[in-house]
Amino acid sequence: MITDNLYVNIMAGSALRRLMAEYKQLTLNPPEGIIAGPINEENFFEWEALITGPEGTCFEGGVFPAKLIFPPDYPLSPPKMQFTCEMFHPNIYADGRVCISILHAPGDDPMGYESSAERWSPVQSVEKILLSVVSMLAEPNDESGANVDAAKMWREDRPEFERIAQKLVRKTLGIPC
Amino acid sequence: MPMVFLDRLPVPSIRVYTTISIAILSCSVYYAAQIVKDPAWRTNQTEIAVGDGNNVTGNGIANDSRTIGVHLEELLACMVQEPGCIWTLINMAYCVLILLGKSIQKLVFGELRVSERQHLKDKFWNFVFYKFIFVFGVLNVQYMDEVILWCAWFTALGFLSLLSQLCKDRFEYLSFSPTTPGWSHARLLGLLAAILALSLFMLLLCAAAAFFFVSFNTFAFMAAECILLGVRTIHVMLRYAIHLYDTRGAAGNTSPRSWDKRGPLAYYTELTSELTVLAVDFLHHIHMLLWSNIFLSMASLVICMQLRYLFHEIQRRITKHRNYLAVLSHMKQNYPMASRDELAENSDNCAICWEKMESARKLPCGHLFHNSCLQSWLEQDTSCPTCRLTLSMQANHRDSPLELAVVSQTPVRRNENHFFHFDGSRYVSWLPSFSVEVTHSRLRGDILALAHSNSQLDAMARQVEQLFPHYPKNIILEDLRVTRSVELTIENILDGRLILPHHMMEEPETEPVAQTQTTVLPGSFAQNSWDPRFDIPAADSGEEPSNLGGRFSKSSIERELILQRRKEHMLLSARRRYLEKHRNSESETRNANGNLS
Repeated sequence: MITDNLYVNIMAGSALRRLMAEYKQLTLNPPEGIIAGPINEENFFEWEALITGPEGTCFEGGVFPAKLIFPPDYPLSPPKMQFTCEMFHPNIYADGRVCISILHAPGDDPMGYESSAERWSPVQSVEKILLSVVSMLAEPNDESGANVDAAKMWREDRPEFERIAQKLVRKTLGIPC
Repeated sequence: MPMVFLDRLPVPSIRVYTTISIAILSCSVYYAAQIVKDPAWRTNQTEIAVGDGNNVTGNGIANDSRTIGVHLEELLACMVQEPGCIWTLINMAYCVLILLGKSIQKLVFGELRVSERQHLKDKFWNFVFYKFIFVFGVLNVQYMDEVILWCAWFTALGFLSLLSQLCKDRFEYLSFSPTTPGWSHARLLGLLAAILALSLFMLLLCAAAAFFFVSFNTFAFMAAECILLGVRTIHVMLRYAIHLYDTRGAAGNTSPRSWDKRGPLAYYTELTSELTVLAVDFLHHIHMLLWSNIFLSMASLVICMQLRYLFHEIQRRITKHRNYLAVLSHMKQNYPMASRDELAENSDNCAICWEKMESARKLPCGHLFHNSCLQSWLEQDTSCPTCRLTLSMQANHRDSPLELAVVSQTPVRRNENHFFHFDGSRYVSWLPSFSVEVTHSRLRGDILALAHSNSQLDAMARQVEQLFPHYPKNIILEDLRVTRSVELTIENILDGRLILPHHMMEEPETEPVAQTQTTVLPGSFAQNSWDPRFDIPAADSGEEPSNLGGRFSKSSIERELILQRRKEHMLLSARRRYLEKHRNSESETRNANGNLS
């Protein structure tokens, strides 16, 4: 409340260049099934990504939109990722936030079980994050229960989980059930 | 909360306020003019009633020998003397100021964003609050004219600091975009320069005032505020300059900037201006506290709180700087600059900023990074960004050859290995398979011995061999000696030597597909009886349309458009694939059912 925040963004310039390079790489050389880029180039620190559900899994065929918010000191700190469609997955919170270790800064450990080696480092990139998310969609990690109901269902009632996943897939494609 | 209450107050719109102000002003001017018409108004002004105006007018025109200039002067003098008129004048001054602010906002900033408006509001009420405490709590001003003078001073100051805050917010916002047109930078910088000039002018003004009217203490109070404003403005301007220098390089994308020199420069600019602002503010508050002898009052409480906050900020900043210096000296002592050969060998970019390396520092694990990139990473974490090798920040291995010798004799053993293998082809055919080995080294902080161990190289080579059995081991070993990381070697194999990195695989698919209709609404084609609303036109059957992928436009509008098209295309083709697949499975089940019956 009292005075100006002494918020430092001397890094914004280099973050911007790095994001530009990543955007360029993702455009010129896109991994199939993944599209990512700034929602609006007036703000290069907010991206939208479309992720195709991996084949052979219950999320197959769906196109899942997600929002990526980058900090001003990117790539020193990881971006935040949040699905903007409805999701039901053990590692995705009800509000769409994604819980994977690659997105956690080396300092914090919300779940208290990850080693720092699995966490964010500046050599990671948007592409690597999105590929990790694809593999997370394929193979949920039910140890880190961001969505406990989903984790339980994944363990105990797989057919029901798959049914819900298929419903979500249809929803993202705009196909009525 | 007072803020909520204030928000609900019916504040008239600027238009209404201006109209009312002008109306009141013209009334009072008319009133004053009526008085002044009588040449002898100075002597008998108390006896003149407004109602007598008409009588006086007739005489006034006839025998008024005064020139217009003198007339105006007297009019002004009269208005200053009349208490009613002076309030209307002050009101008018504020009105003009608000209009000025509004036009500057229109000219430079355009529509304010929500966060900017919020900041502005907070800053405004903070300012009013603290200045109120200053004027009535610290200075203890008693007389009306003094209050008015201080008000005028703080109004000017507050106006400028609000503008400066707005510039700062806007700059931070603009720095998030690479495509801001040059003229909006120019306008903002122009405004900043004007604020700076005005704050210097105000500094001169209070120096002059110190000479003639006021005590040294008052001068110090006034000067501190001007200096704060000036330093803050200079700070934003410098950051702005650095940022522009930085991003112009990015826009060209060709000329690699001398990043290494820029990093410390930016850092020290930031440090000095932040510390200056904090120190001046701190002294200013201490001065207030000591000068006014107000130890037992509300005002002192508020000032003490502020002092505490400022003290913590200074402490925090200095701790951060210590950390910076420690990391810097640690890097200088332990990580040598990479030689020219090493740079040539690792011709790829710095993994942190993805830019070309002209010079680099080498970590014990053999990974190279820009000096300043590595520095800013090590300030927050002490491991190699690429291989996660833990770097000890305390031990200085160069100075302890004995310890090194002892350690290198002990067999190097990794306590804990996480081996993460991702076989992408299981999910999607084009996904690469890769393995990431994660090493926790708990070897008493020793970092040199680890990297050079042959047994470790062998272990790594075995891992790579498992993935690529057709690769001869000596080649893998050769590469591992350079990269010292399983991940990097695998990447090398995938990208460099294996024939099919994933962008190559896509190339045959970029056959010229007649693909223009990416935005066709589903439902315009009814070619199949099965749920025709979601059928996709046949023209859309190509892979990623050739006119969309594989190109990174220089213009941001075009880039946005292409991205949008690609997204739509992806959604459409996903929908088509989904429907086709389900149609097939449905018809299969239907056939099966038919056969059964």
